[in-house]
Formats: sequence, structure tokens, C-alpha cells
Amino acid sequence: MERLSPLDESILQQVLKSNRGNVVLVNLWATWCAPCREEMPALVALQSRLASKGLKLVTVSADEPEDEASARQFLSEQKVPSPAYIKRVENDEKFIESLDPKWSGALPASFLYDRNGRKVRAFIGEVDMKELEAAIRKLL
Amino acid sequence: MKTLTIFGLAALTAGLLIAGPYNVGSKVENFTIQDLNGQGVNFSDLKGDVTVVMFIATQCPISNDYNQRMNELYSEFAGKGVKFVFINSNASEPAAEVSQHAKANSFPFKVYKDAGNQVADRFGAQVTPEAFVIDKVGTVRYHGYIDDSRNAANIKVRGLKNALDAVLSGQSVANAQTKAFGCTIKREKKAS
Repeated sequence: MERLSPLDESILQQVLKSNRGNVVLVNLWATWCAPCREEMPALVALQSRLASKGLKLVTVSADEPEDEASARQFLSEQKVPSPAYIKRVENDEKFIESLDPKWSGALPASFLYDRNGRKVRAFIGEVDMKELEAAIRKLL
Repeated sequence: MKTLTIFGLAALTAGLLIAGPYNVGSKVENFTIQDLNGQGVNFSDLKGDVTVVMFIATQCPISNDYNQRMNELYSEFAGKGVKFVFINSNASEPAAEVSQHAKANSFPFKVYKDAGNQVADRFGAQVTPEAFVIDKVGTVRYHGYIDDSRNAANIKVRGLKNALDAVLSGQSVANAQTKAFGCTIKREKKAS
């Protein structure tokens, strides 16, 4: 996988805007987060199954710059589709708030957006894949 | 009947108000926590004029990156009268593992086990590490990170230290609610 694209609050908004018409799942993960790594194959499989219906998986690594190579390697091994980003922000706190004011910053975290780019649900911690798929299918 | 219903609603509302999750300004009620031998200990016996309640983990790399900084904070502030209550709420990390981890990292403080993550639920703690500073009257004065960078070389804001300095000197805490990336507290799976 090529270098990960840097992402901050405003780039995330651009990503969501450019994906209007799709249901978007933004997944925040990190190489240091074991449950994030564990759930990634299921997220990739979900994206693969539902891509033709309009699901777009957008991954954002919360790793520090020194861990980007490990993040890239993991994404390649897991065949995680593009777009794959890495957060590059001045202030983690503002970035966390911009995604969801109720979110503590605990990983993993996934945020589900409808076809109009409106956030409809936050999944914090290890996600129940059946619940996630049901929520996505409702929007597709 | 009507009176009873109103009383019941009022009691329920009061219950909800004190049950947490705790935010800055909330009053912390007494709770029981287990030491690593399984003995129950009351928070009222652990707290002081200023108390830090800190949720930590054995396996979370972020929490572990702060082990040294937690030791240093303890060394600095225990001498100033601050009490520390370190809590492991992860269902996946049993007391024996917590004990071994504390020894391996030369923790100068006790770590308590939160069976069934009841204390984490009451505080609304979600992540490790996550700190609460509680003052003499039991009010939460700070909630959030230890500092703003996993990498000690990049720290810009020492949230917990700043909060303790402020509370100890009778000042208000400038940045009383903070957030940082961390590991989710692994709660017990409830039977559905």
C-alpha cells in the first residue's frame, strides 16, 4: 500500500462530501489497538459484500507518524481497500470532538453516515458485526 | 397514589442524578472496590482532600506508555497529600495479572480491581488511561487525559498535573475536561 493520506477535521468533511450518495463507514483504528486489528477483516468483508449497494469503508489510522509503516503493512496484509488515511492533526482532542462530542477517544470507533453525509450512528469499542450490518443495510 | 407516583419519580430522578456518569462538577458518591486479594474497600476510606481516580490497564499499549509518568505523578503528588485510586476495570485482565503487572512496573501505589466494571460504569469511564480529580467535598474537578501525547517528547499540555496544581492551590482548573486516544475499557458481556 502507498503512503497513507493525511487527514484532519476539514479533510474528513471533504471526504464525506465527495462520498455523498454512498453510505460511509468511517473506522478509527490503530496498530496498538488489538480489538481494532481483530475486527478489521470483518469490516473489509462487509465492505466487499455491500460495496455494490453503495457502502464505502473509510479507514483512519490514529497512529503516530513513526508507526505509519506498520499501519501501512497491516492494511496491505488485510487487503483494506482505499481510501485509507492517517490522522495528522494539531490537536487530537479537537479531532475527537469533531467526529463526535460524546466520544471519549476510545478505540476502536466507527461512525456511520447516510447517503446525505449525515452521521446516524457511532459504534464505540468492539463492534457487534450483526448490529453494524443491520444498521448499514437500513441505510442502503 | 398520585403522591406516591410523584415521590417515586422524584426519587428516580435523584437516583439518576447521582448515579453518573460523572462529569466535571458531579458529586462522587461512595463506592466499593476490590483489592487484589478480593477484599472490598470503600472509597470513603481511600479518598483524601484531593483524590485521583485513574482507570488503567495491563495490556493497553497506551496505558502502558504512561506507567513511568504515573509513577512520577504519584511520587510528586502523594507527598503533597493527594490520594490515588488506580483501578483496573477490564474484564479481560484478572486480579493476578493486575498484581503481576504492578510488580513488573514497580508501581509504588496500589491497584484495585473493579469486578463487573461497576465503578467504570458509575464514573462513565470509557478508556485507559482516564483520570478524574475529586476535591475535598467530593466534586469532580478534572476529567480526562494524563497529558496530551503518548510520546513523552511531544507533550504540550500536562492536563492532570495542571489540574492537581490548581486544585491544591485553591484555583479553578483551566482545562477541566480533556480527551485523548486510548484503549476501550473491556466490560463484562451482559447476558442478553
